[in-house]
Amino acid sequence: MNNPKFKVWWDLLKMFLKVNILSPSGPASVGFLYEESVGKLMTEEQFVEAVGFSNVLPGSEALKLAMFVGYAAGGIPGVMSALLGAIIPPTVFMLVVASVLERFQHENWLTAFVAGMSPAVAALIVFVSWELFRVSSRRRIDRRIILIAILSGIAFWFEIPSPFVLLGAGILGVFLFGRRSY
Amino acid sequence: MPSLLQLFLIFVKVNLLSTSGPASVGLLYHEVVGNLVTELQFVQAVGLSSVLPGSDALQLAMYIGYAVAGVPGGLVALAGSILPPTLIILGVTMILHRLRREAWLSSFVEGLAPAISVLMLFTAWKIFQKGGATGWEGWAIGLVSLVAMFLEAPARIIVILAGLLGIFLFS
Repeated sequence: MNNPKFKVWWDLLKMFLKVNILSPSGPASVGFLYEESVGKLMTEEQFVEAVGFSNVLPGSEALKLAMFVGYAAGGIPGVMSALLGAIIPPTVFMLVVASVLERFQHENWLTAFVAGMSPAVAALIVFVSWELFRVSSRRRIDRRIILIAILSGIAFWFEIPSPFVLLGAGILGVFLFGRRSY
Repeated sequence: MPSLLQLFLIFVKVNLLSTSGPASVGLLYHEVVGNLVTELQFVQAVGLSSVLPGSDALQLAMYIGYAVAGVPGGLVALAGSILPPTLIILGVTMILHRLRREAWLSSFVEGLAPAISVLMLFTAWKIFQKGGATGWEGWAIGLVSLVAMFLEAPARIIVILAGLLGIFLFS
């Protein structure tokens, strides 16, 4: 661990392990990560850019943010340290919990627990969907956004496969939002 | 019995089409419920991944994978979820400067966002309907949870409380 490069990678791994053990979800980890990395590993400007890109590109945003921070601090090996740190905690938690739960799968109380949980889970999804809608349309909600929302609602209602609907909405976005001049 | 390859491809697909963990819930629901896991298992997976620390999306993927094919299933789901963003990030960091000028990419994402929100509403409704608690108790739990979340109460506490309440109400 005397080589300064290894030190950076090791510090990155420790930092991401910590952030992922302490934060309950991807969006929540942004705050933690900001405190841990801005000023020490990267500038505020780099961090903001990393957040922006992780929102736009496909895949889990927490993971992408971790990799951006890792890259800024330690190049490609930094990306790998960040990835490892972000993956290990949820993997361990989930596999342990899943295997324990499997034994109780047919217990009456677990069924009741899930029955009580499902309205709250549905509420959580509604809430996140609103947050997503609000954050992603940073400018005010205009007619084009409403139009896409209504069209995709109709498409889902008729049970058109969701990947097609999403692709269509994106392509529609290119046409509707692309003409706007900045 | 679905092959591990099939499982892997589902998660690659979901992670290519959604831009964040929470947003993948709607898409994943359509891909797996009914053919790979039951409604009950899916609700458990979403509930647990919002309760446990760490990335929701990865935990959700692993739980589904585990339910379908045990530990290898969990690992395959993990690999499928990690691969697209990793390759994309490695690519993007190299062409970052050129990508910044591509306006069509942000327009595409702007169009995607409202559709994802609507998809999630449909998913929420299905989960509510099939969760079994559709009487006044279920509506009450759902509405109170929603209000609490808008008041910024931590979601994991709410989900656990709702489950505990369920034990008293429904068993």
